[in-house]
Amino acid sequence: MDFVQRKTEDSVVDYFLKEAAEKEIPLVWDRYEGSLPQCGFCETGLNCRDCLQGPCISHPFRDQNKVGVCGKDKDILAVHSFVRLVVQGAMGYLDQLTDFARGVEAKEGSPKRKQEADKILKDIQKILGNGDIEVMKKFPKTLTDGWKATGVYPDGIASALFKVSQKLDGGVGNVEETLLWAFKGALMGCVAQVLQGRLKTSVFGDPAPTNVEVNLGVLPKDIPVVLLYGHFSPLLKLKIADAAKGKKIKVMGVCTDSFIAPYIFPPVTNYGSQEIPLMTGAVDLIVIGDQCVNPSLAELAKIWKVEVVPTEVLNRGGLSSFAKEIVEKAQEAFKARSEVSRNIPNIKESGVMGFSAKDIDVNKVAKAVADGKIKGIAILAGCNNVKFTQDHEIVSIARELLKKDVFCVSEGCASVGLAKFGLLNSKQRDVNCGKGLSALLASLGKNVPAVVDLGSCENSGVTDFLLSMSSAGKKHLKEFPIVACFPEANRTKAVARAAWTVAMGVPTYFWPFLPVTGSQKTIDTLSGFCEEKFGAKLHVVTQKMEYKEKAELLVRSLKKV
Amino acid sequence: MKVIKVDPDKCTQCHTCDLWCGIEIGSERKELNDAIHEKPQPVPRVYVEGSNFPLHCRHCEVAPCIDACPNGTMRRDPTTGLVYVYEPTCIACWMCVMVCPFGIIAPSASFHTAVKCDRCRNMEYPICVDVCPTKALVLEEREEGATWYGYAPKRSY
Repeated sequence: MDFVQRKTEDSVVDYFLKEAAEKEIPLVWDRYEGSLPQCGFCETGLNCRDCLQGPCISHPFRDQNKVGVCGKDKDILAVHSFVRLVVQGAMGYLDQLTDFARGVEAKEGSPKRKQEADKILKDIQKILGNGDIEVMKKFPKTLTDGWKATGVYPDGIASALFKVSQKLDGGVGNVEETLLWAFKGALMGCVAQVLQGRLKTSVFGDPAPTNVEVNLGVLPKDIPVVLLYGHFSPLLKLKIADAAKGKKIKVMGVCTDSFIAPYIFPPVTNYGSQEIPLMTGAVDLIVIGDQCVNPSLAELAKIWKVEVVPTEVLNRGGLSSFAKEIVEKAQEAFKARSEVSRNIPNIKESGVMGFSAKDIDVNKVAKAVADGKIKGIAILAGCNNVKFTQDHEIVSIARELLKKDVFCVSEGCASVGLAKFGLLNSKQRDVNCGKGLSALLASLGKNVPAVVDLGSCENSGVTDFLLSMSSAGKKHLKEFPIVACFPEANRTKAVARAAWTVAMGVPTYFWPFLPVTGSQKTIDTLSGFCEEKFGAKLHVVTQKMEYKEKAELLVRSLKKV
Repeated sequence: MKVIKVDPDKCTQCHTCDLWCGIEIGSERKELNDAIHEKPQPVPRVYVEGSNFPLHCRHCEVAPCIDACPNGTMRRDPTTGLVYVYEPTCIACWMCVMVCPFGIIAPSASFHTAVKCDRCRNMEYPICVDVCPTKALVLEEREEGATWYGYAPKRSY
């Protein structure tokens, strides 16, 4: 039951927090405080509501209800709560993929590289079929052989997702076995993300790192603004941008993939403050996908007379007509909202975003690691979590790591958080970095910032980067000094993401602690057993720590070369 | 004196009160993630068992446990009127456990002492009242002569 005194590190958000308090508009932070204390059984994974005989708990202090009605003990309850998150997260990636693939199959877009796209589409069908997925050949053979030996090789959604989800529904299986099933499900998510990344480049062409402006200051004052929230088909995004072209309409994004070549949807803000753009009054229409979107937006939008268009509805119709409709609605909304005042604070920061693994010379990175010029590599991922001061953890941890000569790559909403504080600005690169790291970054290119953004969670930038590192260094990933860190995680997708990162041999730290802490055995299995099977641990840290301690922990866990 | 009033209509038997009682009052380290692994297992002072009525000590006006205690371990705080166990002198004879009409005194073999609710007498506010998500537990002034709040039989001897 932690009360977060300081809500955000972002001064623009802070400014609007005061306004929200004056107008008594509840935001995410108020709702969090209202829900305190949160259920301790759920927080520690000692609960279950997978059937109607429950809900059950395993009471840590009472002898008469240590096990659920069906006999799940605290260890199984905790590991099941992990499985539940992973399955949900992996399905998120699969949903993004299949949504996109269906659009391409229905010829909603014209792929730039048709043959390649067709090949990937065939591969995607294999996910449903026999599971002999072509893209798995991109992974090092030693890694996939290891997965096959352990039994976690992702061989299609039938065994890697349906089967995993049924682990929650009954049967006997010990903690280790159940946990391996969870990793199998997570790896299915990994395959989906890799396929989606590839399909995206074959349809839209290769992305190029671009200088993008972020934060609320990017909102224009005198033209209609459409904000895209969350994840939906990139083809629809493309169509919206196409329809808006030449019409004096600005299309921007929040918690969405910002790069759909040739268009860029500048990130207005990141997950934690996704409600704030509405408060500026400068948003006319919001288009809302399914993942990463707070349902509160619908109510808040009413206050500022903003129209809400959900994309993932039944019987949506063709993408082109839907996109045209959205743009027309935005123009009408702009006229209708003329009396709503537009208050846009002039605070923005620029950053170079949208690198792909190809844009980075991994040989130079591998050499710098081998020569000891840099201490290692850190992957920064995750969104925001209301349990922490927004952006504080990720930005301060990144600064500490950079100071200590750790090469940092980031992904998804984490990048937007870092961009807001100038860590993606190539002009400010050397302010934060240690000497060894500065030299490496300078050799990688003029526009390479302190932290390298490898795209949103709809791209497989980080996975591709890891795979090319492995081949450049001619080593297993588990032998590299790499660590992954989710300092402000909250989505189930992040849990699946963390699990597959571990399966690839990269030790991973996850904050806040995963809901498995009720069982010491599960915590131990996530570290010791995973170390044995994959060569990396999924660390569950329950102690309260300052960002400096966290950064030290990350640096300590980097393997010595 | 202020006592805890229970509204059974609001209680959902979620066990939040006894979980937090175990953490805040029963455990050494006072943190959720540490307390649940503590050995010996912390003992909560409130009971949610079978029906939607969290059982606490009623701090009876005439307390049988105080009368039954052979060595003055069971005491009443003279200023607040709250009944508590002075643990250093408890000889674990379980006389109080036997006479309590509400069955809220736990004989803790591992701690070798009787364990009971003292309405968090050293804290500003009882933890169970603080954490109850449905406000089934509230802290209220005990009404004069109200037997619902206090087991107060007339002494016949």
